Amino acid sequence: MRIRKAVITAAGEHHSSLPLQTLVDRQGEVRTALRLTLDDIVSAGIEEIAIIVRPGQSAPYLSAAGVHASRLVFFEQDNPRGYGDAILRTREFVGEEAFLHLVSDHLYLSKSELNCAAQLIQAASRHQCSVSAIQPTRENEVIYFGTVGGTPVAQHDDLYEVHTVIEKPTPTIAEQRLVVAGQRAGYYLCMFGMHVLTPGVMKLLKQSLDAATAGQSIDLSGSLNQLAQTERYLALEISGRRHNISYKYGLLLAQLALSLSGRDRDLILTELVNLLASR
Amino acid sequence: MSRLIDVITSSRPEQRNLPLDQVCGPLSIDQLFEECHQLDQFRRQRENLYERVRALFFLYAIHRFHLPRRLAGKELGKIPYHGYEHLLNRRFPEAIDVFLHGQKSSGPSIAISSALGEAYHRLAFQTLADQVRRSVRTVRGNQWMFRTGHPADVPLRIRPELLKTGEHIAGYPVLRERTAVRMDFSHSGWSDIFFLGMDFPEGARVINASIDLAVRGRHQHPVPPIDCSLRVIDEPVLRLVSIDLDAKVDIESINEVFDFARDYLGLLKGAVIASGIIPPGMEGCGGRIEDVFSRMIGPGLGLEIVSRVNDIPKGSRLAVSTNLLGSLISVCMRATGQVSSLTGELAESDRRIVAARAILGEWIGGSGGGWQDSGGIWPGIKLIQGTVAGADDPEFGVSRGRLMPTHHVFTEQEVSPDTRRKLQDSLVLVHGGMAQNVGPILEMVTEKYLLRSENEWHARLDAIGLLDKMIEALNKGDIPSVGAATHRNFHEPLQAIIPWCSNAYTERLIAECKNRYGTKFQGFWMLGGMAGGGMGFIFDPSIRAEASDWLQEMMVSVKRSMEASVPFAMDPVVYDFAINDHGTFAELRIDGDVPQGYHPLMVPGWLRKGISALSPMVRAELERVGNAVREGGSESGLATRLMNRILPSTVKESRTSGRLDDLLLENGFDPIAHEQLREDVLSGRFGLSQNRLHSTVTIEDVRADEILDARTSVSNDVVAVGEAALEAGQVGVVTLAAGVGSRWTQGAGVVKALNPFCRMEGRWRSFLDVHVAKSQKTAAEFGKKPVHIVTTGYLTDAPIRAEIEQKFRNQNVFASKGASVGLRLIPTIRDLQFAWEEVAQQVLDQQKEKVRTSLRAALINWARSAGEGSDYRDNLPSQCMHPVGHWYEVPNMLRNGTLRTVLSAQPQLRYLMLHNIDTLGASLDPACLGLFIKSNSDLTFEVIGRRLEDRGGGLARVDGRIRLVEGLAMPREEEEFNLSWYNSLTTWIDIDRLLNRFALNRETLHDQKKVDAAVREFGRRMPTYITLKDVKKRWGNGQEDVFPVMQFEKLWGDMTALPDVHCQFIAVPTVRGQQLKDPAQLDGWLRDGSAAHVESLCNWK
Repeated sequence: MRIRKAVITAAGEHHSSLPLQTLVDRQGEVRTALRLTLDDIVSAGIEEIAIIVRPGQSAPYLSAAGVHASRLVFFEQDNPRGYGDAILRTREFVGEEAFLHLVSDHLYLSKSELNCAAQLIQAASRHQCSVSAIQPTRENEVIYFGTVGGTPVAQHDDLYEVHTVIEKPTPTIAEQRLVVAGQRAGYYLCMFGMHVLTPGVMKLLKQSLDAATAGQSIDLSGSLNQLAQTERYLALEISGRRHNISYKYGLLLAQLALSLSGRDRDLILTELVNLLASR
Repeated sequence: MSRLIDVITSSRPEQRNLPLDQVCGPLSIDQLFEECHQLDQFRRQRENLYERVRALFFLYAIHRFHLPRRLAGKELGKIPYHGYEHLLNRRFPEAIDVFLHGQKSSGPSIAISSALGEAYHRLAFQTLADQVRRSVRTVRGNQWMFRTGHPADVPLRIRPELLKTGEHIAGYPVLRERTAVRMDFSHSGWSDIFFLGMDFPEGARVINASIDLAVRGRHQHPVPPIDCSLRVIDEPVLRLVSIDLDAKVDIESINEVFDFARDYLGLLKGAVIASGIIPPGMEGCGGRIEDVFSRMIGPGLGLEIVSRVNDIPKGSRLAVSTNLLGSLISVCMRATGQVSSLTGELAESDRRIVAARAILGEWIGGSGGGWQDSGGIWPGIKLIQGTVAGADDPEFGVSRGRLMPTHHVFTEQEVSPDTRRKLQDSLVLVHGGMAQNVGPILEMVTEKYLLRSENEWHARLDAIGLLDKMIEALNKGDIPSVGAATHRNFHEPLQAIIPWCSNAYTERLIAECKNRYGTKFQGFWMLGGMAGGGMGFIFDPSIRAEASDWLQEMMVSVKRSMEASVPFAMDPVVYDFAINDHGTFAELRIDGDVPQGYHPLMVPGWLRKGISALSPMVRAELERVGNAVREGGSESGLATRLMNRILPSTVKESRTSGRLDDLLLENGFDPIAHEQLREDVLSGRFGLSQNRLHSTVTIEDVRADEILDARTSVSNDVVAVGEAALEAGQVGVVTLAAGVGSRWTQGAGVVKALNPFCRMEGRWRSFLDVHVAKSQKTAAEFGKKPVHIVTTGYLTDAPIRAEIEQKFRNQNVFASKGASVGLRLIPTIRDLQFAWEEVAQQVLDQQKEKVRTSLRAALINWARSAGEGSDYRDNLPSQCMHPVGHWYEVPNMLRNGTLRTVLSAQPQLRYLMLHNIDTLGASLDPACLGLFIKSNSDLTFEVIGRRLEDRGGGLARVDGRIRLVEGLAMPREEEEFNLSWYNSLTTWIDIDRLLNRFALNRETLHDQKKVDAAVREFGRRMPTYITLKDVKKRWGNGQEDVFPVMQFEKLWGDMTALPDVHCQFIAVPTVRGQQLKDPAQLDGWLRDGSAAHVESLCNWK
């Protein structure tokens, strides 16, 4: 399985300004948030990238993409019917290939030499199936994420066979249906915002959309749950962290995480101490 | 290996189900002690719940029933006080160790065995309760709530649908949940008790139906009786409203949610906690509700939860409170997305989590129900069964069964619509009016199950078989057979397991039905844990309507005839019912429709607050109410109810108050002494702490050889003296029955003497029946009817006189009416605190203790606001008055002329045996009488060897003089545990000597003034005790509050403290002197042979 296409969803309400936000990367260079993501996925082997945006909002993305602009294809989501619908718009672009999917409002910081996208693509290529990146998350935050239930794969510390996917469960539901052996009590495997998906998911999304009533939105988790019932589907605990830059202080925290793991770590720490001391 | 351990661990059912009595019967005392030793080691080492608990129950039963028989003559022993302290503090294992050490060092005795039996019994139930609690916490879906400890951790969010402001009204939509209650056909011998289901899942089977109800004559047609609502409000508070309990509160702090007894909203608070809105892990975090809600709902917003039960009184045996809890939990879980559907029916998996949360809520609120009780959440008729624990269950390896049962809802193929209709056309559901505590019955069932008492075990198997018959009959649509099965279930297996599940009232109703309708009455149907409250009667459909009307009248008339002797909480009612095929059901009302009765409860408070102080949403609500009233809105009679609320009536109160003053006057109330008493109480001269003897007094035990002994054989010449006196008609009986026996009915105010408490020779018998039957036996044996005087008080006089007139007219029975009465006082905070903090108290189970602490804080506020030391008048007049202690009951016989009359008619009378109403074994025994006559004493008191439960003073040498000391007067509580003898209060009186002590004689008895003066003079020498008594106040639909009120007493035992009264003491066997104070004692009393002994003293002809 070779993964050379990526789909990035960016049609959310506040997404138009996010790609233009700039951050200082680990090497101390100023880049846009979109550029940082594109650097990672291109270095992981992605050649073609589809971005789903709101109608008329492709320009800022194009300008923020830098050297990767030529790889981009834009899909405008008019009459939006949810996250699942956004992905479905790229059905023809994806064709019959497995693809990398990620969301535009996240910044992914790897803790290992391989970046997050590369870790995921490597696992999918090895196991020849869909793989979702996950991160153990405390129960008071599961309400914000799609969450998976499954069983650990033998001989792998970080890989799980997915049985169930539920979008933003309450802890009551998580405890009944999503407990995974080996996790700390009160921790669940929540989506990292990055997946490698087989084209089968597009069929499932289409079925969901067809089954939905007029105007009803569809999400991705419902189709992923169906995917787990129809083909092998794994979850990989990524060695890294995600930062949602659309949250309040999300960009600041992402910048701090980036800087504290890069060349200017001492400088940032010194400035932080100065700030604390002068309060 | 121990035979009993083999019984516990055996995998063969015939060995495992061997009755304890069968194994212990042939064992010698040494073998029994060896078995005890091995069982005690066994229970310490085993992890398995069932093995530990069964060993504990075996140990309890051996010490309670088997060893005492073999330890005859070894009654006396010292129970170590620090063991008792451990017991009070719920440190049961430590208590057992101390008692075992005491047994080893001072040798076995009935006293030590009584302490060990109690400690093992309590540890067994504690172990069971701990396991249920652990299981409830570990049910998946419940665990996270115990880890969430701070508002910042709140993981729930309100469903967005509840935040959409309506187009029609200003405000948020209302989520309405309507829930049925459950009616059980059979619980297979209370197999829905958690432990039974967890130990014997195969035998844990219940059929129950979800039903809608209507009170006949009050409501038009059956509806789901439980109606709850939840909505977002524009104030950051948790607003709880109980329409039926007339209570509402705005909660701002998290800690207040855990304060259960502060108001009547404990159940709503339990639901809020168990639903995870304020999860149990947050107890004590000290945060604000606002912080939780700003995350869960949004800044500045709050929640309002309203509950309403449609006129179903307490004690309906339809599990109203558990289903109300389930309904509230369901609406809260829907609102926070914890179950899949916001509206409509619940999915099966959702019902299960709601039921698990209801169990959790019951535990949190310190109450408890069976596992079938949340049956109203499910639709239709269902079979609920215990389930064997699998490897994935938290119970696996700990107990055989799971905590949560499985529900199978009968399909229309299994129970056809026609059958359901026929059932509705045949069954008449009623509330008989009794509201009793079912708790002791459930404890008895658990105990008997674990001991595998032979009869009980066969009855259990029989009940399981009957349940199959009911299913078969339902399948066939054969309702008469259902009736026959429920009828036999009640009369045979259930009563074989627990005779006390029936009562004289219920059996009278059944007999009346049989008499009137013959074969058209097709069976009685016990609901829930016991009969007397909610019950069913099955009739031929052709007469059902007529029978319903007749039952209503008949039940009221039977109740009237028995209400002095049986604790009723309300007048009986008949229900119409319909099977509910939805279970709990929710709808989202965008029109803001709230449960009926909400506005009359809330509007007066809003108006008092002032329009400008109200939130915009409340203002809009108020406008809507105004429009509805003006336009004649949908709520019928809203305007009238609002006016009734705003302008309350005061007529009833003044009428009650006037009646009380009349009654006080009629019953010899002394207002001057009352004012003096109040002054003494307020100044601190009288009070609980002042009851005690001075701490410098020395209190020592009395040796057996210092008193007379009737426990072993008494010489023939002494017996002959007694017999001669009986043959000469020189002896009479005085039965003390002026008090109401508040412990017997928990302050319900019925006449204990007349309470039909036990079946003897095929009929329910009252305490008075038993005492008179003993006099009858004496008459038959000695040829002379002994005079029998029953002393009465203001509350007991009329009913007892009526009973004597009706039953014992020519049997030499007289009533002696009390000549004085007191008026209860609001207690002082000082005395409440003394009672709760200085006197050793039983610490309760963790959650119950929290509830009690909260209740006590509320009671202190009540005492403060009602006025310490002021008159207690806020209740029925009879509950505000009090008898003034049993010392007065003998002088009353002098004052009211009863003794004079009796002596005039029977001048040969020389002696009296006085006894308490609950000392059932006291009889005119010639041996005791002979000992008394030969002792030449004025009074001779009977004492028994003290057991653990015999608290409240005893026989002691006080500063060198042998006398009785009341428990209230003990300077230090631990000193009571050094006393070997307990006061039975049974007293032999030499009439002439006693009159002499009063400076009277048979002639001067005719001089009323002299008698009054003599009694007054003598009374001054008697100490006055201040006591707190629990008094029930009834309100609403069978609701009850219990208040501790203050009263004073003078006690008969203090006659022994007077130096000029010559007193003697006789040690008598326990069966003669023991007292029956609490209905929970009944089963042990029956099983240890005491009941048979009492019956042997009676002549029922």
